[in-house]
Order: sequence, then structure tokens, then C-alpha cells
Amino acid sequence: MSRYFAPGNAAEAAELLRTTPGARVVAGGTDLVVAARGGKHPLPEVLVALHRVPELARVRETEAGIILGALTTHTWVERSGLVRSRWSALADAAAMIGSPATRSTGTIGGNLMNASPAMDLGSPLLVLDATVELRRTGGTRALTVAELLAGPGRTTAAPDELLSSVRIPAPVPGTGSAYIRLEHRRAMEIAIVGAAAALRFDSRGEIVAARLALTAAAPVCLRVPAAEAGLLGRRLDAEALAAAGRAAVAAVRPISDVRASADYRRAMTAVVVARALTLAARRAAAGSSVPGPDHPPTATGSVQ
Amino acid sequence: MTGTTSVLGQRFVRRDGPEKVTGEARYTADLAFTGLLHAKFVYAGRAHARIVAIDTTEAARMPGVHAVLTQADAPLVRYGMFVKDRTLFAHEVVRFEAEIVAAVAADTPERAAAAAAAVRVEYEDLPAVLDVDAALSPAAPVLHPDWLDYRTQDGVLRAPNDCGHMTSVKGDVDAGFAEAELQLTETYCSDMAHAVPIEPHAVVAQWQGEKVTIWTTSQVPFPARAGVAETLQIPQSNVRIVVPHLGGGFGGKCDFHFEAHVALLARATRRPVRLVFSRREEFLATDKVRHAARIELTTGVKRDGTITARRARLLLDSGAYCGDALFATEIGLMMVAGPYRVPNLYAEVHTVYTNRTPAGSVRAPGGPQTCWAVEQHTDELARLVGLDPLEFRRRNLVRAGDTGQTGQRFVSSSAQRCLDRAAELAGWPGTDLAEGEALGVAVGWWFSLSVPSGAYLKLNPDGTGTIITGAQENGSGSVMGLALLAAEELGMRPEAFSILYQDTDAGPFDIGSAGSQTTFNNGRAVMEAAREVREKLLALAAERLEIHQRDLELVDGSVRVKGAPTRSIPLAEIAAGAQLIGSGSGTPPPLPEHDLTGCGGRLGYSAFAAPSFFCHIARVRVDRETGVVSVPEVVAVHEFGRVLNPLGAQGQVEGGVIQSVGMALLEGSQYDGGHQLNPGLLGYKLVTAPDAPTVTVDFLDDAVDQGGPHGAKAVGEPPVVGTPAAIGNAIAAATGTRVRALPMNAERVWTALHRPSAGAVTAGGEA
Ligand SMILES: Cc1cc2nc3c(=O)[nH]c(=O)nc-3n(C[C@H](O)[C@H](O)[C@H](O)COP(=O)(O)OP(=O)(O)OC[C@H]3O[C@@H](n4cnc5c(N)ncnc54)[C@H](O)[C@@H]3O)c2cc1C
Repeated sequence: MSRYFAPGNAAEAAELLRTTPGARVVAGGTDLVVAARGGKHPLPEVLVALHRVPELARVRETEAGIILGALTTHTWVERSGLVRSRWSALADAAAMIGSPATRSTGTIGGNLMNASPAMDLGSPLLVLDATVELRRTGGTRALTVAELLAGPGRTTAAPDELLSSVRIPAPVPGTGSAYIRLEHRRAMEIAIVGAAAALRFDSRGEIVAARLALTAAAPVCLRVPAAEAGLLGRRLDAEALAAAGRAAVAAVRPISDVRASADYRRAMTAVVVARALTLAARRAAAGSSVPGPDHPPTATGSVQ
Repeated sequence: MTGTTSVLGQRFVRRDGPEKVTGEARYTADLAFTGLLHAKFVYAGRAHARIVAIDTTEAARMPGVHAVLTQADAPLVRYGMFVKDRTLFAHEVVRFEAEIVAAVAADTPERAAAAAAAVRVEYEDLPAVLDVDAALSPAAPVLHPDWLDYRTQDGVLRAPNDCGHMTSVKGDVDAGFAEAELQLTETYCSDMAHAVPIEPHAVVAQWQGEKVTIWTTSQVPFPARAGVAETLQIPQSNVRIVVPHLGGGFGGKCDFHFEAHVALLARATRRPVRLVFSRREEFLATDKVRHAARIELTTGVKRDGTITARRARLLLDSGAYCGDALFATEIGLMMVAGPYRVPNLYAEVHTVYTNRTPAGSVRAPGGPQTCWAVEQHTDELARLVGLDPLEFRRRNLVRAGDTGQTGQRFVSSSAQRCLDRAAELAGWPGTDLAEGEALGVAVGWWFSLSVPSGAYLKLNPDGTGTIITGAQENGSGSVMGLALLAAEELGMRPEAFSILYQDTDAGPFDIGSAGSQTTFNNGRAVMEAAREVREKLLALAAERLEIHQRDLELVDGSVRVKGAPTRSIPLAEIAAGAQLIGSGSGTPPPLPEHDLTGCGGRLGYSAFAAPSFFCHIARVRVDRETGVVSVPEVVAVHEFGRVLNPLGAQGQVEGGVIQSVGMALLEGSQYDGGHQLNPGLLGYKLVTAPDAPTVTVDFLDDAVDQGGPHGAKAVGEPPVVGTPAAIGNAIAAATGTRVRALPMNAERVWTALHRPSAGAVTAGGEA
């Protein structure tokens, strides 16, 4: 029999995690409960539900950037004009998750802490230089997303640590970002592979800042420093795209599973990389963002 | 026809719609019972093994457990529609991963699951046969060593690991190939696919004395009743099958299966027992999947495109048991010539046992895979002779007067008319095509199943009516549409009828919602019952109005004198004072004359009654870099004889087309040895609403004498047959390369484009 708590503030939640062995957090439950029902992991002995903790749902905008509470839903991210214009890659990703019901229930904290190699928020947060705040009784610490993700289903957070928020710095003006995932149908899909890119150009059209990260191509979402370095000082021409693709393919360790073979995933890595870079560059040039919600969510962000 | 305005062909909203869309409709798993126990099956979990020992003692002792049963607790009866090759529980050997070894009843689902996990079974693994070619090799282990002792339906031809083979022979195939100027050989393979109704299988059984009532998600209540009676060795009159609302079936709920297991548990515990499948069980254990198939085709043509001969060989993966598979076998065989003039034909089909989930009748069994293979082949033949795919088809399609592959003479040319109309609607060869887009065409034919059925009809004292039918409503709306036919006979409104259906103690025998047969056969029965009531009504009214019957008509819920509408009696007035009851069984039209000389193993689908024709044209968009295919539009033109209920027919076509986009692009089971790798909706992908094409539907009327009510033909299955084929041809047109495996998923399309050497066999050229 599971035990269930619904604390009213973060301190209480953290204390429950510290004092109750086997306790696990549940936010939207769209990973945890679905995995339990599918027989993947049994439900935890003790559930600490977060939905009554308003401070974890808070969003704060500052000069330095934005702080999204762990309970921020994908729907909120997808609909936020601010996120769409400044952190387009994240809005792209949020808009493609599951179905409208999944997006309204699933949270950014749950997406990160579930640590699926196919999580859609991972690569966008990597290229946007996001950090997370982990909270336990007696203190907090900040980690980069790369430091948080340890492997499939694993993070570096301790069992008594709560993810309280995600902080994304304001991008340098002129930056464009995008997230592309390969999907075989247009809703309710899991990334076969995905790529996020953030680019900034100088007045001559040469790249002065580049970030590239990959989804579902390795045990964790990861940045590709070799591809990033290779892009600096160049225009984003066909050759540059191909070189970035090659560097990305060299960095991935894809698996073969029911969704795709490793060979196909490797080849597709180069495709999504080129498309993410191209869209990021277009946005950097136009100073534009992800179109509003009246556009179908997969039209810009996905390869379809 | 009686009334002044016909209700046929009008917009008609089905009566069960509102309760379904508002959530008020009760399905099997929703029913509440006092003292209910929960059933859970113990599955083999391995492909092929001998059972050394089963130990249920620990499971039986667990808290809340009321019964743990195995084959030792059931009569040792082998059952099966065509080949009696299976027992309720595994008997000595398990032959696929979800073979049922034991069943538990406990007071909660969790306790039932825990006890099922505690049943200890010791196995000795046997070599598994997982491939149809391997299964037919003389060296293969025989999966049913006692196969010669199994009883079968008359006429079934078998061999070791082949539970039904058949041939279709016409003309002189060698002479036909000698006449050919070019010939082409190709092989096409399709993966196992599933029916995937939204509602999973559920069964509740409850005994009172010697009688058991079983509420079940069956598409075939009467065959289910027969199966329970046969396997439990009790009279059919002691078994009552009731189907509450059914949440879809698509053939996956055909045939008898789990009702008897649950009835046994209920009898052992003297409590009502309920079984509800999980989605995983739906994939592994329902043993009613669409056959994986290997289809080899060789065709000879003249340079002008005339087909002179065809050889075909179909291997259907039947899985561990035969089930109702031989329908698919014979129908698949009847698809190999397509609706084309093939003067010389030799075709054979084998239904092959393997250690996989048993296959059976999924919507249009044998149809989509074979049509897909034949229609890809047709486009390749067109290419070989340098003709446009439409022109090649026009030269070979059957017309009135031509004979089919078993010599049946066609009375209509609607195959041609469907092609022309679809081409017109789709703007063939394509206008305003975007980058990466192309059109693909497919034609085909389908049968109407002519079988006995039955219904009663009565009028109520308030002038409304009730139809009591043996037919089953699988969601297609065909039972709801019976009210139209009754209303038409009696000059009433269809809304004035209630329908009592899918209860074997109420309605007369009907084979169930299978073979698109409900309107075709039960419709005739309802009309006959309504005519009996009409005769009684007219006789009573003639007496009261002191006028001859022939001067009366039934209009707007009353009997009135022709030409003198004020002289009338409301039906309610007559019905309140008299028993107005009718019954009907209709007379099934015979199969058209045909010739089976040289054919073997045929079981009744050797000619098609009231055949219908269709043409689908799909527009696809291919992303060449990724292989991702989307389908913006499908034009579907069908000739269904006479369309009685346009809204219903349109719904069947739209739904069928969308369902088969999934079959074309996404749906297929993958296996690792004897284990399905994607038994769930995460790994087995159906199309979603955003993937659905715009479906442009058109119907061509061609009412037939030897058809169903008012010249109607079968509607439910044909819509899924042609779309995968049309999509395949469109992909080939868009990419210049052909994908010879179904589903034509993104990776396969990409592989065909970028790794062409990995493709399947094809050989074409000079004959
Ligand atoms: C139909 C469907 C479609 C989906 N599609 C996608 C998709 O397209 N892309 C995608 O990336 N994901 C998808 N998902 C997965 C899931 O919806 C997302 O990952 C979602 O963001 C998870 O959030 P949640 O709040 O529901 O997490 P939960 O299920 O509540 O939690 C997930 C894990 O994170 C832990 N956790 C949650 N919050 C915290 C916290 N604040 N601190 C510490 N630990 C925490 C939980 O203990 C658990 O281990 C889909 C899921 C479903 C059911």
C-alpha cells in the first residue's frame, strides 16, 4: 500500500522527503503514474504530491532572465509570448509534448527529473544555458542541466532533494534558437532523435555564438562542443551544416529499439541538426520567434 | 415501398449516438455486480514449451483468492471454427507467449494479479518456429504433432504446420506465360497488425442454477454461445450471451474465446466474475491479429499492357492456432487477381502455424495486405510497359460480362466507373502538387456475405415499434440503421423504433458483426418481419374502414385510404387493440455461378455475392531526408449498390480510410524471437487526429437484384482495403523507389531511398 502526502509548502515537502524512506515526488504524474500502470516501475511506497505547493508553480521574470517554478506546465511555456520570443527552442519543445492533456498536466520539473534520454525539454535547456535549483531541508544548490542529467532515468539529485525551479538567462540580443525533433506521427510522439540550436551572428553574417544539443541520441541529452566550435567564425552555409552534422554524428551513441535502428538514428541526427541550425539562424536574422498558438504546434518545430 | 416519402438515402442520426458521446452508455466493464470477483490469466511467457508441472497451491492459499483453474479443471475439448486445434487452457504444450496456462479469481484485481504471479509452472522449452518459410520446410518441428487427429470443417486441406491451403486455377497458366511478351516477379511482405478497439476485451459471467449469463465484448454472440456450450459441454439453452454497448471491435472481437474461462471461474466460485484486459493483453492475448503475409507475384503482360497470366503464392502467418483464419485465407486468395481480367491464373495460399500470436479476422481479413501487394505490382507492370497507371488499369479492369478468377460473371462495370470518378475528383495525375508530393491509385473489389439471419418486430400500443434482432452492433451503426428499413416498410419514422439486440435469449440466430453482413442479411430479415406486421395492420384497417386492402397505404404513422387522406386510422389505435407481431429471416441470395475446376481446399468464398468495387487515390508528401510520409488527402470512390444511410456509409469510409493510413505507415508488430516488442500504444502507433487525411468520399449507385435490402451491398470492410495500396503507389511515385514491406514506415522509406541494396527481391524483363 502506498502512502500519500500533499504538503502545502516546499519546506514541508523537502522535510517529508528527508524523513520518509522510499518517498518520491509526484507532480503531474504523467511519467510516474503511466510508468507504474505500464508495469515499468511500481508506484513508490510513499508519494509526496506537489500540486498544493504554490511557490513551485511561480514564474519570475527579471532583467537577468526567467525563473520557472518546477510545476510550470508545458501548456504555460507553449503559450507564453515571452518564452516564444526569447527562448524559442523551449517553446518549440513544450508545444510538441504529447497531447493538449499531457501538456496541461505534465511539468517542466517532472520532465527533467524523469531524465528520459528522449525528454524534449533537455536539449533546449542545454542550449539556453539553463540551471536548476535543487532544494533540500537546510539549503539549496544550483546545477547546470548537464550536471543534473546522469543517465537514462537518473539524475545527480539526492533522494531528499526537490527540483524547485529552472533558471534561464536572458539571451544576448540577436540570438535565435530552435528545437526540431524527428517524429513519425504528428501528435503523441516520442523523439526518435531531436536537436536544439542557439545561434548568434555578427554584422557580416558570421557565427559568433553557437550552441547545439541532441535528444534521444545518447544516454542523456548532450551538447556537442565539437560542432559548436566548428561553427564559430563561419557563415551557416551547406558546408557548415554538413560539418556540424558530422560532428554531431560522431558524438552520438544511439540505440536500436522498436522505434528506430541505431543506423537510422545516426543518419537522422545530421538531418535534425541541420534543420535546427537553419531555423535558429532564420530566427536570429529576423529577430523573430515562434508563431502564436493559432499556428499548429508541430508546423515550425517538427520536421513534418 | 409504402410511404409517400422514403426515409432511405436521407440523413439519419443513429439512436445510440448521444448516450455514447455523453458517456452515459454502459459497456461490459462498467456493469456493477454484488459479490463480484476479478479474473486474471496466467500466461506462458514463452514461445514454445512442454509443461512439466503446474503448481497452484501457493496461489490458491493467498488472501482473497477464490479459485485457481487449469486445463485439469475444464473438459478436455478441442475447439476451433475450421480446425479443432486448441483447448481452453494449455494442454501439455504452450505454443505462443500469451497461451493461457491458468486463471485466477480473487476479490480484488490486485490480489488476482498477485496470485497469478504466484502460480508456478515448470517448462521444458521446445524449438520455436517464428517464420512462415521456416515452418513449411520439411525439417521444421511440427507445432501440432497430433494435427492429423484434429477434427476440421469439411473441405479443409492441411499439411504439417499448414492449417489450410487452397488454390485458385483459371485457364492455362503456362500457355498464358508463353503468350506474354514481358513478365515481372516481385515479393511483398506485411507485418502483423492489430484491430485495436478502444474498449479492451471484458467478460462477466454469473450462474443461477444450471444457467449462465455472460456479458461480453463479443462481435459474435451466437458463435460465442456455441463455443461456451461446446467447451463446457452444456446445452446452448443454458448459456445466455449479452453484449452491452461495444466499444469497437474491427474483427478483433470475433470468434469465441474468453467467455468460457470466465464462466468456469464463476461456476467454481458461485460468484459473478469479471475479466478486463489491459492494453498489453489486448496486444498479446486476444489472438485475433491481422496476418503477417508474404506475397509472391509473377505476371505476364503483352507490350500493350494486356495481362496474359499470373502466378501467385501467399503465405499467411496464422500463429499458434487456426482460429477463424481460413476466412482470411480464402479472401486473400480471391484478391490476387484483383478486379482485373487475368485469363490464366495459378494461385496458392498457405495458412502457416508459427509460435506467434494467432491471427484471425481483422476488418477485411486478407484484404489490405493482398490488395497492397497486387496494386504495387500493377503499378510496376504499368511501368514495365510504359503506361500511365490509370491507363494500364483501364485496359485490364473487369467490365460487365467478364469473368472473375473462378469464372463468376460480372454484371456491372463499376470497377471502371469508380476509377474514372476518383481520377476526376483527385485531378489525376495531380494538380497543384507541392514539393515531395505525388498521387497513387489503387482499385479493388469486395464481397457481400450472404448468410441466414433473423429478426422479430412488434408494434407497441402507442404506435411505436420494437425490433428484436440477433444482429450485433459493433459500432458501425448497422443495427441502428435497421430502424430505417422497418420504418420504410411501415410508413413510420425510424426514430419511432427501439431495438433489442445482442442478447442470445432474445433475438434469432445471426452470425454477428463479421463480413460486413448485418445490413445485407439482417436488413432483409427485418423487412420480412415488418411486412408481416404490415399485412396484419392492413387487414385490420381494411375491416375497420370497410375498404379493400389494396386501397390503403401506410403513411406518417397511420393507415389511410389512398387519395382520401382524411380517412385514416393512427397506428397506435390499431396497435392498442391487437397483437401486431412479425418475424423474418429473409432469403440469402445464392453465390453467383462459378467454376472450381482444378481448385482445391475452397470453403465457400469461391465467388463473391453482390461484389462491390472501389478506387482510392491518395496524395502523399514524402520528406526524402527522413522518410517521413504524410497523407494530406485520400479520394475514396465506392460502389455499394444502393446507399441506404449516407451518413453511416460516409462514416464507414472516412473511418476505414483513416484506420488504414495507420496500417500503411505506422502499424506493425515487431518481434524478438517469440515476443512482441511493442505490445502497447507507445510502441505500436496508430494515426492521431492531426495525421488524418482529408477524405473525399463519393458513392456510385448500382443497385443489384441479388443484393441486400433495396439492392444494397456490404459497406463495413471495403473502405480499409484500398488505402494502403494507394499510399504505397503514391510513395513510389514521389520517390522513384518502392517499399516492399508494410507498414511503409519512415525508416523503410528512408532505407529504400538511401540504402537501396537493402530492398526486397524483384525481377522483371523479357519473358
Ligand atoms: C501521453 C503522453 C505523452 C507524452 N509525450 C511526451 C513528449 O512528447 N515529450 C516528452 O518529453 N515527454 C512526454 N511525456 C512524458 C511526460 O508527460 C513529461 O515528461 C512530463 O513533463 C512529466 O512531468 P510530470 O509533472 O507529469 O512528472 P511526474 O510523472 O509527476 O514525475 C516524473 C518524475 O520526476 C520526479 N519529479 C517530478 N517533479 C519533481 C520535482 N519538482 N522534484 C524532484 N523530482 C520530481 C518524480 O518523482 C518522477 O520520478 C508524455 C507522457 C504521456 C503520458
